[in-house]
Amino acid sequence: MIRTPRHFRLTGLRRLADEELADHIRQGDGVAYEVLFERHGGAAFSLAYRMCGRRTLAEDIVQEAFLSLWRGRGFDPARGSVRSWVLAGVRHRALDSFRHQTAKAGLDVHDDVAAKGLVADDRTDTQVQREDDAQQVRGALVELPAEQRQVIELAYYGGFTHSEIAGMLDLPTGTVKGRMRLGLTKLRLSLADLVEAVA
Amino acid sequence: MSVNGNTHDHDSGDDAAAYVLGALEPREAADYLRHLTLCTRCREELAALAPVTDALASAVPHVPAPPDLRRRVMRAVKDQQRGEAERADRRGRKPLRLPTRAIALAGGFAAACAALVLAFVAIPHGHETPRVVSARVMGSPGAAQLRVSHNHAELVVWHLPPPPAGRIYEVWLRRGSTAPAPTSALFSVTSGGAAKVDVPGDLRGVSQVLVTQEPAGGSRVSRHRPVIVASFT
Repeated sequence: MIRTPRHFRLTGLRRLADEELADHIRQGDGVAYEVLFERHGGAAFSLAYRMCGRRTLAEDIVQEAFLSLWRGRGFDPARGSVRSWVLAGVRHRALDSFRHQTAKAGLDVHDDVAAKGLVADDRTDTQVQREDDAQQVRGALVELPAEQRQVIELAYYGGFTHSEIAGMLDLPTGTVKGRMRLGLTKLRLSLADLVEAVA
Repeated sequence: MSVNGNTHDHDSGDDAAAYVLGALEPREAADYLRHLTLCTRCREELAALAPVTDALASAVPHVPAPPDLRRRVMRAVKDQQRGEAERADRRGRKPLRLPTRAIALAGGFAAACAALVLAFVAIPHGHETPRVVSARVMGSPGAAQLRVSHNHAELVVWHLPPPPAGRIYEVWLRRGSTAPAPTSALFSVTSGGAAKVDVPGDLRGVSQVLVTQEPAGGSRVSRHRPVIVASFT
């Protein structure tokens, strides 16, 4: 097998931590950006799919999000991890697509349906660990009182404002905000170790 | 909003939770961001809750991405890179209209840095015509200049990349070595990366005009590196 210079570059870049990759990306290194996609593209697609429930739309969201992040190249370590930066970009793009399409699909996408019929890729140890962490977060969500989980999921994955949620559930806006706060506080306590690692 | 601006006697957590979930209305989010510059308690509450939403982003069930998605994304990025290189190349060849000596000088100057730096131009006619002030663009192949007249200025930009979703460009004024002060000038760019922005306020005493990327609605305090710097000598 002939190994090209690009192959050697990829191998070298794959050894770098996310923040070091971000430095290369800031300088316009497209190969470093490919490594970034390699690491976080899967999570990006999963989030986009969870939010919109449609495969083709999720692909478009991920492509637009990564292109937008490339144009900006503005990762700021003070605001969180590289992974958070990528997933926040995907979420923003998904919410934009909701606004333009005036449709917020995906609220009834169930975990088992989401993965059904799709071939699992070969996952590294890191990816397995991440899936375990994700399972822990999902478990913590399930443990929340239903009314707290509902407002958090409607806001975060559905992109609804507290006013819209209040209208949907026929509740005062203060009640909606209060449930958000109680739910997030409980999650913070349940996931204390994990949240520190993510941050 | 439950916030009344006093740093101690309001319930800070409800707005923090709604904010990190992205559930505040745009105007409320802008007001909340301004409030954060005044309220330590709210900043602490926000810092405590923000990592939880990072966990939510990663908590969705794993769904394998289609195998050709990586190729599509990288092709789009390569197209963007090619476009950036062509624009930079066009600017390097732009002084075709100038005398030959000026072409050589301008070519060498443009080749010296990736960002475009415009020379200070004084127009010695005795009339109040706008003067052009140095503007440096960082991190992108865009260009910018300040047009100053009667202690007021207009910022003109070209080929500036659009800010990411949920973010906006904000203009700041720095006087001497003090921290930059925010202005009400928030802007995005056209599909071609162009914008013209009136810089608010009197420029007397201003040493630099800066532009940063901020969350939608702007910020009162910026922790971001400027993307445009125009310095008055």
